[in-house]
Order: sequence, then structure tokens, then C-alpha cells
Amino acid sequence: MASFVWKRILLMIPTLLGVSIVVFLMLKIVPGDPVNAIMPPDASESERALVRAQLGLDKPMAVQYVYWLGNVVQGDLGDSVARRLPVTDMLLPAFKNTLLLTAAAALASFIVALIVGVYSAYRPKSKLASLFNGLSLASIGLPNFWAALILIGVFSVTLGWLPSSGMSKVGGGGFGDTINHLILPAAATALASVGVLTRMVRSTVSGVLQQDYIFALKAKGVRPFTILRHVLRGGMPTILNVTGLQFGALLASSVLVETVFSWPGVGQVIYQAIGQRDFPVVQAGVLFIAVAFVLLNLIVDAVHAAMDPRVRQA
Amino acid sequence: MSLQATAAADPKDLAASAASREPSRAAVVFAAFARRKIALAALIVLLVIVLACLLAPWVAPYDPSAGEVTDRLQKLGAPGHLLGTDEQGRDILSRVLYGGRLSLLSGVLPVLLASILGGGLGIAAGYFGGWTNTIIMRALDIVFSFPAILLAIGISAALGPGITNIIISATVVFIPPIARIAESAVKEVRKEEFIEAARSSGASALLIIRAHILRNIFAKVFVFATSLIGVCLMVASGLSSLGLGVSPPTPEWGFMLNNLKQLIFINPAVTIVPGAFIFLTSLSLNLVSDALSDALELKR
Repeated sequence: MASFVWKRILLMIPTLLGVSIVVFLMLKIVPGDPVNAIMPPDASESERALVRAQLGLDKPMAVQYVYWLGNVVQGDLGDSVARRLPVTDMLLPAFKNTLLLTAAAALASFIVALIVGVYSAYRPKSKLASLFNGLSLASIGLPNFWAALILIGVFSVTLGWLPSSGMSKVGGGGFGDTINHLILPAAATALASVGVLTRMVRSTVSGVLQQDYIFALKAKGVRPFTILRHVLRGGMPTILNVTGLQFGALLASSVLVETVFSWPGVGQVIYQAIGQRDFPVVQAGVLFIAVAFVLLNLIVDAVHAAMDPRVRQA
Repeated sequence: MSLQATAAADPKDLAASAASREPSRAAVVFAAFARRKIALAALIVLLVIVLACLLAPWVAPYDPSAGEVTDRLQKLGAPGHLLGTDEQGRDILSRVLYGGRLSLLSGVLPVLLASILGGGLGIAAGYFGGWTNTIIMRALDIVFSFPAILLAIGISAALGPGITNIIISATVVFIPPIARIAESAVKEVRKEEFIEAARSSGASALLIIRAHILRNIFAKVFVFATSLIGVCLMVASGLSSLGLGVSPPTPEWGFMLNNLKQLIFINPAVTIVPGAFIFLTSLSLNLVSDALSDALELKR
């Protein structure tokens, strides 16, 4: 088990390097000379050259990358152009909020998918199952930033049950207040993966239901609830693995949902930075989520391997 | 594969079979497709949306960028404004129809470009194998290790706002998945004996790829690409809703969605309209692509 995890960590290093190269190159495709952006228009050519040298922009690209990576590894992602703050200071608190939103969404879609998926696998021919099937197919084509608007329209505007934006009411509320603000954004984010997950749970469970050991249990006259426990045990490694991978997808899709709900996460920070042409912030935000995505995949693989010995040996 | 062989048969045979009124492959596929009522309905919805957008100058009731102040904030189904109006009194239906042209373009064009580029890379990787394969596929894996929408946001934000830049960034994002499909399809075809025969008779790599490989992987890559158009439409309109797309007053679905957002407490039903078109289009595309894949018997 330990050697499996170490192997995966070693394999992750080239991936992370690749990700960092792509994020570094993003800064290089920004049109225009970065020196012109920070210097007054009447600065002389020699002054420009001086600043260029100070920023290391006269060095070859590979050298610039190594410097940049060195800073990133030490937690220095540069400063925001618009707010004159270290980017890391802006992103860390936002990232916590994004994680909260994503975790809530993942939990919600896992529970819904498990219930609906198991039901559909048990009663594949029922009317309800085909309705669920249609809904989960529809949810795959559903843009979640639009679903977010509908949820606001129904639950905030029409029914007035839940708040439509932010993370707490003016003056700040307690834990319950945060949960209140969390429900709609989490539901909108969850919609991005609940369809995929439901379909996957259904096919996994119906696969397990055809196994010989389930027939044996049924023949023995074991209670249906006990059989269900065996079914879930058989299907769970696969289900948890896919849920974990979906967590990464949710992390990315939360970016768009946050902007609709003004949820103070990384997506909202990126959105504001786009409006202010504050590219270092966008770049760092992308790096944050991409690295989290890679790490998450590692954790999911490790958990999957811990649960299913076949994965370790492969 | 047997269907493919028929398609690749001698043109004289095809002419003969047409003469004896044997259904063509296209007819067989369409019949299989049409058996799925819901897919047929989706295809019709899709055609209506596409046609209405293409013919916007003729079918749209109003000028999409000129508003009438007295007609501000009309509700859904208001007389003269079927889908209501926005805060400047512009007709939403007209804006949706005109806006669909850019939105549909930004859904289709990146997938088309990515199919050419990703297909090319996948074929090269799959056909030549070895180091070529390793270098191409590992490089694409790096792009794959980003969540698609996030990478697209990064590239688009770096290049600056504009629909062209959205198309560029969406293209980059869709190259790896298409390349993977193409690569695995080529690897499969490459094992076939007719490739061996062509090689031993001295055919060049280029000729084999053109004459045998392309023909045999086309259906698979094509169907996969159609399934990506809906995703691409969502990515592109998502980017646009972040302010990375068009600038006002140009209508475009993602941007309209973002703009109407501020009216949700005043006119909720109208706020939903642009997104409904994104959803309807992408859902129809998914249904059509799914049925197409079944009709072509690509699923195993």
C-alpha cells in the first residue's frame, strides 16, 4: 500500500511540473509588453531596459520559469496589480470558501446519486427509474451557472426561503446562517455532477446485482436489507472513486457558480480580477485550483487502493 | 467494421446496389436514428434553433441593439415582445436569435478546429507509435490534468476579452480528448491485416493514413466530436458570462445571461431565457449525438 502511494506521488511530480509550465506560459501569451504596462508612457528606452532587467524579463524564458517556480514553491505568487496585495493573501481565504462549497456539493450529489442510482438499479423497468434516467441525462447538458439563476429565481425571489448571494448576512450570522447561504450555491454546483454520478451508481449496482454471490444470498433467504449492504459493499470502491474524481470537476465548476451567488471563493476572486484586468490573480487562481485538482486525484487513488486490493496490484 | 467495408467498396458496386433499391448506408443509419423518437425530436429542435438564428435578420421582430425606453422590462409573453424586454427596452427574442449566431459559432468552431488538430495529433501518435506517441500523448496529458473550464478561463483571460480568444482557448481545451479517441481508434485499425498488406506492397505512411486510417476512424471521431459541441457551447458561454466574450451591445447568450442577472428580482422569468437556449441546444446536441452513436453501432 505504502509503495503504491509513493509511486503515485512520484508520478505526480511531472504532472505538477507540466501544470506549472502551462500556467507560467499563460502569462507569456498576455498581449503587449509587460514593461509598458507598469512604466509611464514618457519613460526613456534606457529606463525601460533597467526595469526589464530588474524584473528578469531580459533573461531567457527557461530561466524566467525557474525563478518563477522558485517563488511559487515558496508561496510567492506575485502581487495583485489592482489591489497591491500579495496574491496568496487574497486566494488562501477564498480557497477555504471554495473548498467548503465544493465539499457540500460533492456530499449532496453523492447522497442523491446513491439513493436514486440504487433505486433505479433495483427497479430498472419502473416509471420512476425512467424519469430519473431522463433527468440525469438532462442534467449533463445543464449549464450550472444557469441552474444557479433558476434556483435564485425560485427559492430567493419567488418563495423567499433562502438568501441569493454572499456567505453571511450583513453583520455576520452564525453557523446556521452560513449553511443557509450555502444551500443554493451547493445545489447549483452539485447539479453538474449528480447526473453523471447517478448513471454510474446505477450501472455499478446493477452489475453487482448480477453477481453469483448475490444470487446465493437471495437463495439463502437473507433479508433484503442485508443483501443491500452486500451490494453496496461490492460497488462502493468504484462509486467512491468516481465521486472523488467528480469532486475535482466540481471544484472547477464552482468557479462559475460562485460568480452568480457572489460566493467569496476563488471563482469570485478570478471573476473580479478578470474585470480589473488583474492577470496575476487569475493566473494564481488557476494554479491553485489545478494543483488542488491534481492532489485530489492522488488522494482518491490512494483511498481507492486502500479499499480495493486489485487496484494496488495493477 | 463490416459497415465500414461496405462504405469503402468499389463505386460500381455502390451504383449497382443503389439501382437494385437496396437502402444506402446513410438511409440505414437514419432509420436506426429515427427509431428513437426523442432523438428525432431533439434533431428538429436543434434545426429550428439553428435556422432561426441563421435567419435572424429576417425572422427577428426587432433590431437587437436598439431599445425602446417605453418598452422597458416587459414580462414574458407581453404583447409584441414574446420573450419580454431588458432594462434598455430591447426585445429579448430578437437578441436571442441574433446572439445565437455567435454562441453557436463558439460551440461548433472550437470542436471543428480541435478535431482537425487533435485528430491529426492522435493519428500521428497512434500510427507511428514509439517516441512520437510518448511525446504527443504525454504533452496532451498535461493539458488534461487541468479541469477543462479552468484552463479555458486562464487562456482566455490571458489573451484578453473577445469571442476569437474564447474560440482559441476552447480549441486548446478540446484537443486532448479528441486526440485520445483518435489515437486509440488508430491503434485498433493498425492491427488489421489490410494495413499490413498495404505496407508490404510499399504504400507510404501518408497514403495508408489517407486511404485506410482516416476512413476507418472517421465515424468514431465524428460522433465523439458531436458529443463535445454541447459541452463546448457551455464552456464558451460560461467564459462569456465571466466577461471574457463580446462587448456590449453585441448580443450573445452567455453575456446576455450575465447581463440579465441583475434583473432577477424584477423580472425573473425573462432572466432565465438566454440560459434556456443554451440548455435546450446543448441537451438536444447530446441526445442527437447519443442516438447517432447507437445508430452507427459504435458502442460495445
